[in-house]
Amino acid sequence: MSHSAIIEISELTKKFRNATEPSVKGISFSIERNEVFGLLGPNGAGKTTTISILCGLFPPTSGTVKIDGKYLHEDLASIRKIIGIVPQDIALYPTLTARENLDFYGHMYGLKGKELRSRIDEWLEKLGLTTAANRPVAGYSGGMKRRVNLIAGVLHRPRILFLDEPTVGVDVQSRNVIIEHLQELNKEGTTIIYTSHHMEEAENFCTHVSIIDHGRILTEGSPASLIAAHPGCNNLETVFLHLTNRKLRD
Amino acid sequence: MISKLLATIRKEIWLLLRDRVGLSILFLMPMILIFVMTMIQDAAFKTLNEKGIPVVFVNQDRDSLGSMIEYGLRNNDLCTFYDSIDGQPATLESAREAIADGKFLIGIVVPAGATAAIRENVTALIAETIDNSGDTTHTDPSKVAVIDSVEISILIDPVTKKSFITSITSNLREFISEVKTKIMFETFSKEIAEIIPDNNGKGPSNAFQRTQIIRYNEEYASRTSDTVVPNAVQHNVPAWTIFAMFFIAIPLCGSIMKEKSEGSAFRLHTMPTSYLLLTQGKLIVYVMVCLIQFMLMLSVGLYFLPMLGLPKLVLGHSMAGIAVLTIATSLAATGYGVLVGTLASTEQQGAIMGSLSILLLSALGGIWVPTYVMPEAMRQISVFSPLNWSLDGYYQLFLRQGGLSDILIYSLKLFLFFVITLGCATAINKWKRRV
Repeated sequence: MSHSAIIEISELTKKFRNATEPSVKGISFSIERNEVFGLLGPNGAGKTTTISILCGLFPPTSGTVKIDGKYLHEDLASIRKIIGIVPQDIALYPTLTARENLDFYGHMYGLKGKELRSRIDEWLEKLGLTTAANRPVAGYSGGMKRRVNLIAGVLHRPRILFLDEPTVGVDVQSRNVIIEHLQELNKEGTTIIYTSHHMEEAENFCTHVSIIDHGRILTEGSPASLIAAHPGCNNLETVFLHLTNRKLRD
Repeated sequence: MISKLLATIRKEIWLLLRDRVGLSILFLMPMILIFVMTMIQDAAFKTLNEKGIPVVFVNQDRDSLGSMIEYGLRNNDLCTFYDSIDGQPATLESAREAIADGKFLIGIVVPAGATAAIRENVTALIAETIDNSGDTTHTDPSKVAVIDSVEISILIDPVTKKSFITSITSNLREFISEVKTKIMFETFSKEIAEIIPDNNGKGPSNAFQRTQIIRYNEEYASRTSDTVVPNAVQHNVPAWTIFAMFFIAIPLCGSIMKEKSEGSAFRLHTMPTSYLLLTQGKLIVYVMVCLIQFMLMLSVGLYFLPMLGLPKLVLGHSMAGIAVLTIATSLAATGYGVLVGTLASTEQQGAIMGSLSILLLSALGGIWVPTYVMPEAMRQISVFSPLNWSLDGYYQLFLRQGGLSDILIYSLKLFLFFVITLGCATAINKWKRRV
């Protein structure tokens, strides 16, 4: 394990109740500070399970997770303060306005007063939502909802940001804005852990990639090194298909 | 911590204010419920008193008994008297047919010779008494032998509720019995006058007839000098207020379920904020809603119902008692809502589970029918309904003029119910998140 690693995962296994086999089978890897780490895999590969464990949503069956030098099972409360989550499904109150949603989630992360208001204004401005900020989220387009969903996860300037398919179902314009600001966050020091089915986006966005399937890590490295290591593959998507094969997944 | 709690409270208020249909259900529906139920029950009571029950009377006796019963029925507020059907004098057959058709609720048939039979009965009794005392001059053995009972028929519409009929017929029986006694006494006096003509030439005194030896004084027992007359308002306002307060469980459960289905709960679980704090925020807002509901419904009883000619709600003397009991009821209702919201897996499931269980608890608790008319087994179960504890508490305050000490036990039970439901909800939530 590297000393500059912000996340260290060792022999992580998760078997759900009533499941016939584990979703994650003894995986180990580390994520360096300021990395944009892509956890890529087909449906049911174990990506969401791994990220859920890292976010503290449920404990692993075995193995250990160390985040920023602290064990997850020992210091969950303090770890939660330094992480941010942008879930795949929109996690907002539809009848509240964007500003009200952000005000509430900001408070839950311990922000308040002028600081919270200025951060909300700043992010609404950055993501082009200022004029719509006082309208209920229910009336927003898919792209607008995704942008608010992103802000709710980054408002407290987390040291580690988990992104589960942050650009799924949005138009190119919204996607570009989201990726652009995520890169900006990364430059400011946020480590990003990202899952996606969008291989081109992952290839351009991630500095390090792990391909996971059937609960095991198949390969990892920078997108360029992975492409180079697989002769006949000219992009991350062909590497991905080469490793996980073309068989349809449930 | 305080800032997080305030933010949760603010968020819950925003969510409530945006849900206009939910708000109208929370505040308007209970008020309408109290209004409708009180009006219906008061109107039903008035129907008996003001309009009277339609009674058809068949007088085949044509003598004192028939005439006196007829006089009594005609001058009784309880009844509307009829002695003809479709313009024809009522007979036993036509009365039976009309009652079977639902035209009348009750029919009374006094048979021919009923008065004569009573008189003969008395005469025979006197004769027997004199005979037993050794004086055989007035004995007529044949009269003693023919004594027979008089059968007055009471015909009843089968649609009418048994309890209602019981109440009416017992009044009628009492009245008929009085009339019979009067006739017997008159006959007795006459017979005695014939046997003992002396009494300074005045005949037997009728002082007995004029004297009411046993009198009845009805009074509502109260610990204070003030007496609250029980009426539809005194019973309905607290009962339906409790019912509405417990119905808070449905929107509260809906709010919990929505957080789950809309993904907010997922995000909240990953944040540095405890489940207890998030629940506290919800509880505070919904308890406030319960208190507002309570005040609105009291104001219906205090100001709105009197405007419609109904009695004004009397609150009793203990404002502290009302406050403590209302807070305890609100806590119990919201605790129950959290439990249902935790148990249910979908919003629909929560709504069905919540509404049915509250209907059940309210029926058991005596909201729909008083517990004292319930079968013994149900009465024993009813003491486990939190609505019953609350209702008993309000009756102590509003009807029995009780104070804070009289409702402490009910408040304590409600508070314990709140603690237990919340504890169960926390445990179930933990168990459900186990994967």
